[in-house]
Amino acid sequence: MGTSTKFKAVAGVLGALTVAGIAAWIYQLMNGLGVTGMNNGTSWGLYITCFMFFVGLSAGGLIVASSASVFHVAEYKKVALPAVILSTVCICCAGMFVLIDLGGIQRVWRIVTGPNPASPLFWDICVITLYLVINVVYLYFMKSKKPGAQDKVAIVSRFALPVAILVHSVTAWIFGLEMAKEGWYSAIMAPLFVVSAMDSGLALLLLSLMGLNKSGTFKVEKKLISNLAGLLAACIAVDGFFVGCEALTMAYPGAAGAEMLAIMATGATAPFFWFEIVVGVLVPFCILVFARNRARMGLVAAASVCVVVGVFFKRVWLLLTSFVVPNVAGAPGIISGSSSAAHAGGVDVWAITSSYAPTWVEITVAVGVVSLGVLAFMLLSKKLLSKAPQSVSAGEAAEGGIAAKAV
Amino acid sequence: MTRLAIAINLDRCTGCNTCAMACKMQNNVPMGMAWNRVLNEDCEFEVGVQGVYPNISRSHLPVACQHCENPACMRVCPTGATYKDEKGRVEIDYDKCIGCRMCMAACPYNARVFNWNEPVRDPDFNYGDKDVPVRPKGVAEKCTLCKERTDRGDEPMCVRCCLSKARVFGDLDDPESEISTVLRERNAGVLLEEQGTRPQVHYFN
Repeated sequence: MGTSTKFKAVAGVLGALTVAGIAAWIYQLMNGLGVTGMNNGTSWGLYITCFMFFVGLSAGGLIVASSASVFHVAEYKKVALPAVILSTVCICCAGMFVLIDLGGIQRVWRIVTGPNPASPLFWDICVITLYLVINVVYLYFMKSKKPGAQDKVAIVSRFALPVAILVHSVTAWIFGLEMAKEGWYSAIMAPLFVVSAMDSGLALLLLSLMGLNKSGTFKVEKKLISNLAGLLAACIAVDGFFVGCEALTMAYPGAAGAEMLAIMATGATAPFFWFEIVVGVLVPFCILVFARNRARMGLVAAASVCVVVGVFFKRVWLLLTSFVVPNVAGAPGIISGSSSAAHAGGVDVWAITSSYAPTWVEITVAVGVVSLGVLAFMLLSKKLLSKAPQSVSAGEAAEGGIAAKAV
Repeated sequence: MTRLAIAINLDRCTGCNTCAMACKMQNNVPMGMAWNRVLNEDCEFEVGVQGVYPNISRSHLPVACQHCENPACMRVCPTGATYKDEKGRVEIDYDKCIGCRMCMAACPYNARVFNWNEPVRDPDFNYGDKDVPVRPKGVAEKCTLCKERTDRGDEPMCVRCCLSKARVFGDLDDPESEISTVLRERNAGVLLEEQGTRPQVHYFN
């Protein structure tokens, strides 16, 4: 496939969005994080939501790719290359979101010179770096034509699978180990994050494979898509089960957890919670649980979109619900500290319960990072996939051609 | 060992906010931020009361950094910018703070505030103590137990300025100190004991 006009147009738009994102980030660096909607009450927002989301998207791809080698699932080997490309791009996006969220990025080297080994954020930085390295090594060996490279792929995959699971667990522990936040402090956080990673990552992989298939960059059998969609249905079910376990444990004693659940079910984060339960879990599961539906590419794509969006919404309620009510309550509450508060007077700077909405700067930066990610995926898959040994796909293409003629 | 701390007599606290203002002036705290705040408990309004007239009551709770013995903020700080110093105070090294706000998520007391912007001051100059460092944008800050004053042997400014003498400052490790006596003899407790942070700041009545 040559560089079509369509490809150029899409790349151009994504490039422009990336530039806009970088401009917004520079604006944020100049003026401080006050240009975001974050405040002293809700001290993390869209950036950390996206960070959790992208770590998840990344882990899903690599889990499929490496299980192909570790468990000798022959069919999955065919999609290992696009899966690892996707995983590499997503983990880079996740890393970017953490760095963008820092208030003092010019002092970030302090993590290297004087790390605190007790900090989950320090663990996360280590494991994300390790994960990125493994992804790149994986890609290198998969593309390598040297004899024995395939054996090395098998060796790398045996490290990649546990690290992929670990990278998402450690991200969960950033939240799950904070006793101060009722909605976060739970042992189910890590398993919940891992299974969310698997369903959102798989769904994104399916969408990417369909996209690559359509653009002609990479041919994928429908049977394999249906097969992966079956795995996706299983992951969605486990995800729903974990959320249910957590919700019941929170609700049952009728104590602090129930108050937290009330905010989730009927309060500020309720739209996100119910959207995730209905559109992110119930609908795609009901679609994909039937083998007949899994054979229809349109339905698989629709279910995948539901899962990806649903998991994003889950990140939103998971992160933000715990910020709403401070542990030590009372009027006037928490002083906001944001830009507007610095110039406001009287009671306007205080809040009994905390609220948050992203500003245009945050949204522009986030869109920029995502655009850069999509652009990187397009370019990398164009470069790496089209030159891939295409014995299988060439055969398929021929079959496709014959089929087309027959029709 | 030294464990400097404050004990607050809630019966004496009138909710006048003088401690909050004194703290703000002493520590050069910018606009829209506070290290020390006085909460009107179980009320939605600062001027509210609990109960229905004529059966009403009002109780005030001054909250700042609790200088915990097991500080959740220190545990999660990736660079060690938050540390427990030799006098038992929880302090921040602003040069090491990368502004990740792990500490703000970890603190159960919402004691920390963040420099979301280039600090704004009104009047527009550094009105704080000359020894108090001026914080840049992008770092977290909180009550230092008036490190600069207590290093000189003075009381923290909130203790010095409290009109009703509700605050007692001293060393918990000195059994003869006024604070140790008060905690021994009076009905003293800590905020959110179930969090296991073991605050050095105590409340009594």
